[in-house]
Amino acid sequence: MIVPDTLDGAILLSVIDFTLSIVMISGIGVILALFPLLNRLGKVDEEAIRQGHH
Amino acid sequence: MFEQLVSFAKALEQQTGLAQFWWGNVVMIAVGIAMIYLAVKKGYEPLLLVGIGFSCIISNVPGSDLILPGGLFNYAYQGVALLIIPPLIFFGVGAMTDFGPMIANPKLVILGAAAHLGIFVALIGAKALGFTLNEAGAIGIIGGADGPMAIFVTMKLAPHLLPQVSVAAYSYMALMPLIQPPVMRLLTTRQERLIVMKQSRKVSRLERIAFPIVIGVLVNLFFPPVAPLITMLMLGNLFREVLVTDRLAKTAANDVMNVIIIILTVAIGSTMAADKFLTIKTIEIVVLGLVAFLFGTASGVVGAKVMNLFLKDKINPLLGSAGIASVPIAARVSHIVALQENKENYLIYHAMGPNLAGVFGTAISGGIMLALLGVK
Repeated sequence: MIVPDTLDGAILLSVIDFTLSIVMISGIGVILALFPLLNRLGKVDEEAIRQGHH
Repeated sequence: MFEQLVSFAKALEQQTGLAQFWWGNVVMIAVGIAMIYLAVKKGYEPLLLVGIGFSCIISNVPGSDLILPGGLFNYAYQGVALLIIPPLIFFGVGAMTDFGPMIANPKLVILGAAAHLGIFVALIGAKALGFTLNEAGAIGIIGGADGPMAIFVTMKLAPHLLPQVSVAAYSYMALMPLIQPPVMRLLTTRQERLIVMKQSRKVSRLERIAFPIVIGVLVNLFFPPVAPLITMLMLGNLFREVLVTDRLAKTAANDVMNVIIIILTVAIGSTMAADKFLTIKTIEIVVLGLVAFLFGTASGVVGAKVMNLFLKDKINPLLGSAGIASVPIAARVSHIVALQENKENYLIYHAMGPNLAGVFGTAISGGIMLALLGVK
């Protein structure tokens, strides 16, 4: 166990975990913000896929 | 002749479960019946509560071999213990979920983490009450309001707490329409609740197909401890979005999901034997779970209000409480509370963004927790 099994350890774990969670999920948000750039690569023809012409 | 009959009856009693019957079994059978009642009469999570309630009743009938090694309920439990069932639930959830609202409005994703303060309040509270840090972590994750994730993390950290944690998590998820609105109203003004969100952009098929692949890679790269859950969520979603595997997506979302729910509910109910469940710890866990839900709701709303300090286009702070992972219950609660103020303010699509992000928020919190506690 990296964090000590004490109340201080619980507080430390919580602070690190909550902070990192915010950072990580913000990172996912940044990546999602870049998603519209994918549309420059081209377009998926949904009708053709649905009809089996892919 | 009479003495022979008495001794025969006594021998028969010893062969049955009657001799082991105690008041705890009666209480737990009543709990099982109450669950079925709530499901049938009140409509609370019937898909879960009927199975859990029934197997809880059967597990508290002394002499039943079903929960012993080799028994059918025990095999169902092994599916949970070996961490096979929770990822398969996520597989089905992925196949039935449209992640479009989350992709369309990335700034709301942060609410998926903000609404998880409850996890840590419950964790610290549990530690203060004398639980070990591993047990406290399992109790805290109730605040994520994500049943499969709560089960997954609990099985890794404190498997002996599975019945209490899973029952608390699913019960509070069912009760969210009662738990969340008072906190949401307390922390927002009417003006804030009336904020109408701008229409989101349309998400292309290419983005929808890329999403599960990108997230699958990221999660396996950064959060291996919880990767099985999110990977299966993304596989189910990929089946849904590529449009060429409709049959598989439908099977995952319906048939597989239904079978897994049956196995899961039987497994959870089978762990609710009176001697393990009727303890002071159970009451403590149930109270801590409620605290986690209350703080999670509050921190989500406050998080949205903090975001508004920096945003030009203000967001409705009711979206914050949707950051709790319970999909789609938390989003629906935000929608309903907004509708009560303005009958034309439809928040549901916008609320689904933070709600879905909450699934990732819980997974990330759980993954970091497992890593910090040295559990693989």
